[in-house]
Amino acid sequence: MFTKDKLIKFFLALAVFAAVDGWIFTTMQSSVRASAATVRKNALVLLAKSAPSDPGLLEDWLSTVGTSLPGGAAVYLTPSIDDPEVYVPLASNETVLKLWLDVAATEDAKKGLESAYYFEDYASAIKAQLNGTPVRLFYAPITDDAQAELLGIAVFMAPETADANVERLLLGFALGAFVLFASLSGVSRFVRDPVVGFSVLVLSALAIVFIIFPLAEAFRLSFLFEGKPSLTVWAESLSGAHLQALWGSIRLGIWTASTSTIVGFLFAFVIYRTSARSKKFLSAIAQLPVISPPFSLTLSIILLAGNNGLITRQLLGMQNFSIYGLGGLVFVQTIGMFPIAFLTLAGVLQGLDATLEEAALDLNAGRWQVFRTVTLPLAVPGLLSAWLLVFTNSLADFANPLLLAGNYRVLSVEAYIQVTGRNDLGGGAALSLLLLLPTLTAFFIQRNWVSKRSFITVTGKPNLKLVELAAPAVRMTLTAAVWFIVAFVLSLYGTILAGCFVKNWGIDYSFTLSNIGEALSRGKEAIRSTLSLAAMATPVAGLIAMASAMIFVRKTFAGKRVLEAVMMMPFAVPGTLLGIAYILAFNKAPFLLVGTGAIIVISYIVRELPVGIEGGVASLRQIDPSIEEAARDLGADEGLVFRTIVLPLVRPAFISSMSYTFVRSMTAVSAVIFLISARWYHMTVLIYNFSENLRFGLASVLATTLIIIVMAAFGIMRLLVRDTGAFDKTISR
Amino acid sequence: MAKEPVAVTIDRVTRIYKNVKGRADVVAVDDASFVVKPGELVTLLGPSGCGKTTTLRMIAGFDLPTKGTIRIGGEDVSSLPPNKRDTATVFQSYGLFPHMNVAENVGYGLRIRKVARAEIDERVKRALALTGLADYAERSPGRLSGGQQQRVALSRSLVVEPGVLLLDEPLSNLDALLREQMRVEIRRIQKSLGITAIYVTHDRVEAMSLSDRVIVMKDGRIRQIGSPSGIYERPDTVFVAGFVGKVAFFPVEVASTDGETCACTLRGKTVQAGSRAPDVARGKPAVLMARPESLRIGAPDEGVVDGTVRQNVYLGSSIESFVETEYGELLVQIDDPAGKRIAAEGDRVSVSFNEAQVRVLPASAE
Ligand SMILES: Nc1ncnc2c1ncn2[C@@H]1O[C@H](COP(=O)(O)OP(=O)(O)OP(=O)(O)O)[C@@H](O)[C@H]1O
Ligand SMILES: [Mg+2]
Repeated sequence: MFTKDKLIKFFLALAVFAAVDGWIFTTMQSSVRASAATVRKNALVLLAKSAPSDPGLLEDWLSTVGTSLPGGAAVYLTPSIDDPEVYVPLASNETVLKLWLDVAATEDAKKGLESAYYFEDYASAIKAQLNGTPVRLFYAPITDDAQAELLGIAVFMAPETADANVERLLLGFALGAFVLFASLSGVSRFVRDPVVGFSVLVLSALAIVFIIFPLAEAFRLSFLFEGKPSLTVWAESLSGAHLQALWGSIRLGIWTASTSTIVGFLFAFVIYRTSARSKKFLSAIAQLPVISPPFSLTLSIILLAGNNGLITRQLLGMQNFSIYGLGGLVFVQTIGMFPIAFLTLAGVLQGLDATLEEAALDLNAGRWQVFRTVTLPLAVPGLLSAWLLVFTNSLADFANPLLLAGNYRVLSVEAYIQVTGRNDLGGGAALSLLLLLPTLTAFFIQRNWVSKRSFITVTGKPNLKLVELAAPAVRMTLTAAVWFIVAFVLSLYGTILAGCFVKNWGIDYSFTLSNIGEALSRGKEAIRSTLSLAAMATPVAGLIAMASAMIFVRKTFAGKRVLEAVMMMPFAVPGTLLGIAYILAFNKAPFLLVGTGAIIVISYIVRELPVGIEGGVASLRQIDPSIEEAARDLGADEGLVFRTIVLPLVRPAFISSMSYTFVRSMTAVSAVIFLISARWYHMTVLIYNFSENLRFGLASVLATTLIIIVMAAFGIMRLLVRDTGAFDKTISR
Repeated sequence: MAKEPVAVTIDRVTRIYKNVKGRADVVAVDDASFVVKPGELVTLLGPSGCGKTTTLRMIAGFDLPTKGTIRIGGEDVSSLPPNKRDTATVFQSYGLFPHMNVAENVGYGLRIRKVARAEIDERVKRALALTGLADYAERSPGRLSGGQQQRVALSRSLVVEPGVLLLDEPLSNLDALLREQMRVEIRRIQKSLGITAIYVTHDRVEAMSLSDRVIVMKDGRIRQIGSPSGIYERPDTVFVAGFVGKVAFFPVEVASTDGETCACTLRGKTVQAGSRAPDVARGKPAVLMARPESLRIGAPDEGVVDGTVRQNVYLGSSIESFVETEYGELLVQIDDPAGKRIAAEGDRVSVSFNEAQVRVLPASAE
């Protein structure tokens, strides 16, 4: 592969490109400099014109120069009475005066003064230092109105920071072009499968720029205080109040994970191990909350049980009840997250061979004994897995605590307040990094330990047999519990729907349609931008996910494991951290992205890729590699094989990864709340704003709209893929 | 489908799989060289793991040689990707595209080559007719039997008129009867098209019955190349002799060699063997090999060695008689058994051979 001949050609090409690149850069640099110099000169000439002819006003004028010329200053030279060729300097402060006195005797200064003496401007080419900023001197003659007499000479010390920025950008482009050329031509010369080579290159660039770099920036900046290396931020973050918030997050996670796992198991057990009726319906309702937008459940809880809640206040007349705090949070999170546990455990109970339970029954064990000695022990890894998944989700949850935490403190909200309330990005970064610790731990335990101890037997045949594992009385009780929860979940959605048509919840329950008009007109822009951002992210994320899956499953290359690990990392990174990391990393050159829609789209893609990749990997593993080899052999190149063979074959995974990305992007909040701008707003944030301002009617309308959109996306996806198994798997993250 | 057949040249090709995590390097193919002549069908034959598939995949371009060059029709293709090589592979698992029907599968290669629609239809039709699948064009491959899927895979490879047809154990997923039919059919089609073909198998009957020449491999190295009869009758090593057919060995001492033949001593008697392997020399340990059909059963003390008949297996046109001797159990084939007197199981007999039909080989186990 690496022949001498090829290497020589490669380096020759590089040298030629470098020469051209360098030439273009220097030409552009000098023209930028020239035009910047003209602009500066014009500005200074104009400024010189503003110099007062009255010597008494000079001092004031000199001090205003500082503001029209940020970082710069001026000295005013008046020809002395005795000798018109000797000048008396006047400056607004000592430093400026000293700088002038330092240069006054140089050849360059003499030249400047001479030019001014003959009514000519003079821009010095020599740089000087003023308070640490590089400045250039500009000599401007100040004449009387008739332009007959020289009143004085203004010597401006103009900083050149502005064009330095442009030059740095130019240099960045030149270097970037070179790196791009080098890698592209390197790949096409030395890699046998250029398409794979390029894909790996693109993925690596993506991983480095949009995952590693921002996280590293967040980490680095948490060790800076006022621009200097310091542990201040961390000392602050690890202080009592914040540690309390960390503990608050963990405590909430433990509670939510435990209750969700119990509820999830209850549903899975009733559906997959008893002869209860309406299983499809139960299972659909049990999955509903995963796709419901953030704030919607909280909103409905507040409507029912908040300070002016329908149940607590109007119906029960309670005065001292508060839903705000740990209890309410555990409640809402459980409703929102038990589906994750349910989907995991449903997979486990479906995968456990019912023959085992039959065998135990056959050996004369009672039902309860079978459950205790066979079913439960076999489900333990699944239970643990479900618990850890919910735990991670609860810790990363931002929307529910934002509205419902009250005085209870959790880290994700704390980090948000640090950033938006106190404008302390470093502190926010540190707090959200702190959150990474428990989530990463749980993630790795789940990945590397629990999932390897699974007892699921892959037989390939769906388990159609059903072993009734509950005595009738037990079954009735469990089924009743499940139906009670289902009714409750439905009533929550009903409440949101009702909220759309109520004038002023908690005070005036009269019917109105005005909320709808107002919410839709005020939310029009947000709806448009939310939809278009999600629509942009969707196909890109789907394609990248499938291409990555293809590369990870079928190709070998150096660093594959590392790339895979990095690409999967956002799975365990709380959205709050990602959002903060993005504003830290992308608010400056060379990636000035904050405020654009692009950064939001990128954050969607990066966050949802892991799930899509997993789906693609699972589905590709089922496909005989000789199918792709056959296509290759018949003359298709890598790209064609991907398009004509791989993509159609992984279609279910492809579509579900797209709809997953769409749904998650529509319902995003934790990262996006940091990235939105006036132009690119998000519906969820608007829902939050309305709720905060107690405009519950408007919030309800938007939440309902969002639910309808998400449901529609879901419906379309179901139509496109018959087998929704892949989607069910991917959504339980 | 008239196209000049091309030759394939494998020149000192080695493929080493680098050790993965502390395991030793695997030399899958070790310094292999051979030439496949235009229009010839050559079989790579050898036990599992000997490097047959690796060799074939390097010719197709799915794998790259660590060292050495591969030429197809005179062009060095060693570093070309599969889609740039004039080969078409029939895979063991067929690799049919499950999302396309039979006609679309077969036409895939033509569509990639941007052949005109009408011509594609025409050629697909002809290819399907050739393999007897004319009625199945619209079926999805998942709803075909194994043998039919096999034919689709074959048609798909043939329709693009490749310079070289590669087949990796194409019949191993079929039942015995179908295997025999397809074997005959593949050979018929290959001959009628005059296409160069390389066929991988570990089944010696398959190799013998369809090849122009057979390449026997073991542990990544080529052990012998020859026509089926040459390999069977004149193997050069004990391994090849044993791998391509049933055989009995008798340790002998070489007395003298002379051209293609040699004289040796077996149990004190001099035997003038009909042929010998090139490596046989006086003073080196050697064995005498005899195929079942060159062994005979006679009265005790009349033959080379005495023994007891353990079992007779009746096969219709012949009987296989297993005789327990001090050289182990010898298999004697008795042709046209009808009317012959056959020694019964348990009888004492002697075994002898026809000297002109036996061959002397070096004794090493390789
Ligand atoms: N990708 C690989 N990495 C490491 N070793 C490999 C790889 N592919 C093949 N090998 C090794 O190379 C050797 C030859 O493999 P190959 O597949 O060519 O055997 P084969 O002759 O086709 O066997 P079979 O008849 O079982 O198909 C084996 O020892 C195998 O384990
Ligand atoms: Mg093989």
